[in-house]
Amino acid sequence: MSVKNVLGIIFSNAYDEVLPELTALRTMGSIPFAARYRLIDFPLSNMVNAGIPQVGVITKSNYRSLMDHIGTGKPWDLSRKRDGMTLLPPFDTPSTGLNHGKADALYGSISYITKSGKDHVLLTDCNVVCNMDYEKLIKAHISKDADVTIAYAKGNPPSIENGTELILDENGKVVETGVIDCLSGNVNYSLKIMVIRRTLLERLLHEAHSAQIDDFETIIAKNVKHLRIYGYEEAGFVRVLSSLQAYYDISMELLKADFRKALFTPERPVYTKTSDRVPSVYGIGANVKNSLIADGCNIHGEVENSILFRGVTVEKGAKIKNSIVMQNGFVGENSTLQCVIIDKSAVVKPGKMLCGAENYPVYIGKGIVI
Amino acid sequence: MAVKPECIAMLLAGGQGSRLGILTKNIAKPAVPYGGKYRIIDFPLSNCVNSGIYTVGVLTQYQPLELNDYIGNGQPWDLDRANGGVHILSPYQQIKGTEWYKGTANAIYQNINFIERYDPEYVLILSGDHIYKMDYSKMLDFHKEKNADCTIAMLEVPWEEASRFGLMIVNDDGSISEFEEKPKNPRSNKASMGVYIFNWKKLRKYLIEDEAKEGSGNDFGHDVIPAMHNAGERMFAYQFDGYWKDVGTISSLWDANLDLLNPKVDLDLNDDSWKIYSRTPVAPPHYVGANARVENSMVTEGCEIEGSIDFSVLFANVTVEEGAEVKYSIVMPGTVIKKGAVVQYSIVAENAVIEEGAVVGESPENMADIKDWGVAVIGNGVTIGKGAKIAPDTMTDSDVGGAE
Repeated sequence: MSVKNVLGIIFSNAYDEVLPELTALRTMGSIPFAARYRLIDFPLSNMVNAGIPQVGVITKSNYRSLMDHIGTGKPWDLSRKRDGMTLLPPFDTPSTGLNHGKADALYGSISYITKSGKDHVLLTDCNVVCNMDYEKLIKAHISKDADVTIAYAKGNPPSIENGTELILDENGKVVETGVIDCLSGNVNYSLKIMVIRRTLLERLLHEAHSAQIDDFETIIAKNVKHLRIYGYEEAGFVRVLSSLQAYYDISMELLKADFRKALFTPERPVYTKTSDRVPSVYGIGANVKNSLIADGCNIHGEVENSILFRGVTVEKGAKIKNSIVMQNGFVGENSTLQCVIIDKSAVVKPGKMLCGAENYPVYIGKGIVI
Repeated sequence: MAVKPECIAMLLAGGQGSRLGILTKNIAKPAVPYGGKYRIIDFPLSNCVNSGIYTVGVLTQYQPLELNDYIGNGQPWDLDRANGGVHILSPYQQIKGTEWYKGTANAIYQNINFIERYDPEYVLILSGDHIYKMDYSKMLDFHKEKNADCTIAMLEVPWEEASRFGLMIVNDDGSISEFEEKPKNPRSNKASMGVYIFNWKKLRKYLIEDEAKEGSGNDFGHDVIPAMHNAGERMFAYQFDGYWKDVGTISSLWDANLDLLNPKVDLDLNDDSWKIYSRTPVAPPHYVGANARVENSMVTEGCEIEGSIDFSVLFANVTVEEGAEVKYSIVMPGTVIKKGAVVQYSIVAENAVIEEGAVVGESPENMADIKDWGVAVIGNGVTIGKGAKIAPDTMTDSDVGGAE
């Protein structure tokens, strides 16, 4: 049994609601992150790096940007005749819905899952940023002969609704699951990355469908006593995007060498769609400190503790501090940005000043002109 | 065959580029890195697809491994096509024996069968030696409009440099009246760019004749074109205005890279309507550290910069440690420049290591005699030891120990 026998499923829309600003026009999976990536690049690359040959990407709404990004799966080497990547949009028949919950979404794609013929299915969302060795997770799942293996991290859980706490026995078997509330301290919180036996998944989905349960976590929770469910601790760098503030904080963490090196290791590269831009150009008088910068930028001003995505222009005299400027953003002459998140193609005209706080970043929407 | 292409391109990429010295020890000249993320061959290839030419034969001969690997199936240039696309054409064995490509014309002659498969009206001949952005479709329109048999792209060069080029004397209607190859006293400043469009049927005839001719050098410039001209074929010159640079020598390669930093130079690679495509390495965005200083430079993905960079072009995954200085230099992928090292007026090839405190190259202002000055070149994978000093105008091809 090898990783070749695993089907990967990525939910591109899960938790859209926790980042309403960034997902207004896109899916969670297509949120720009780390100067040149989209969130889906991380789980997708993790799967490819683990040798998972077949990946289905489940979508619900606003997935045009996602389709544009992943295309046929070429950048991840998933454009193949055998296996490869498939986009799974809602399958709307009288008996299925519009993917209200994960169980519903999976049920809509059940024929795809069955047809894959793989022994196990690895399920993941897009709001967990990590460079995780899925191969180890799969191997743990197989060696324990588990029905389900759920990856978890130890510590203060992310403030996200319906977080799941795993209570484990000494062998790492899940004996109980709990719902995380705002009072939960140091717990084993589920990363919602799990491996499950395919035939079991199909059975659970049929049951959920007849019981009209939309939520996949609920089904798992209901079956804790009957199934061999194991926890798998991910001790590496893992961050869960639970809000705009978390997006900002995690982005800023990328400026620290240890987090950056853990996320971008040469052994497990993160793949993304290339855009064939020129290298970034620094002009005379450019002053850049502690910043992460993608290709295609034109920098003539000051940039400090910030992240610039592809094709950002920083004019003379502009000052950008503790901010994130997404693709093709334009920051005009002598304008000042502090603790600001600027979405794609937004324009800050010369001489403007925008200030947020580190615990309350200002967000400027896609294409807005200030 | 589905749709017959009107014009196909044949790209001569077999040259060694011996004047680039150690930079082309293991790679062909068209594979030499340029401009932070490109290789020279990206320019003609991108020009082809941007001009709507989707069938390209790339003729390789000298050290083809890296070039073949780089081109692969042509996907980065959208040349992985069911109909046409990019094809690597190496010399091959034939029943009458095996022959290397003896000259530019012979290389095309040996691939007549390839061209015949597509049966095009026109053939565009290119070389992989130059940095320029050119719309070949406009040149083809000109060729058709003039009802020409052969059209040669030309550009006006400064008179004082004219004697280094193959020159043309052109009539008012654009037809060529005379050729001069690198004359001592030039009568024209219209230089050939080595870009030709031929009517395929005509070219085919002349290639076969040239091959049969004893003593022919089998070269386009020396043999085939003069033969066509002497036979009275319709030869025209198509004027190109814009940036064009032969990067055949160390100093021209260095210049051409630094041209990218000069806003006055007419070479905009940021033009969305004429992108230059390349096979990009998988690397994270570049990081500029808290004590770094980067000015008037080009930096690309995967670089980690803690030192200071001025008037330089950095390729992917270059590391510049704290206190290190890079000035007026080209640093190719994967090279590490350690603490306190100085790299100036240099070209450092891939995966080299410049140890702490080493000094590579020299500024022309500090030379007693400017004639001794030149760009210092460090070869692939070479380590320059701690505190070592590398003189200007040298090529360093093997490790240099540290200074005691």
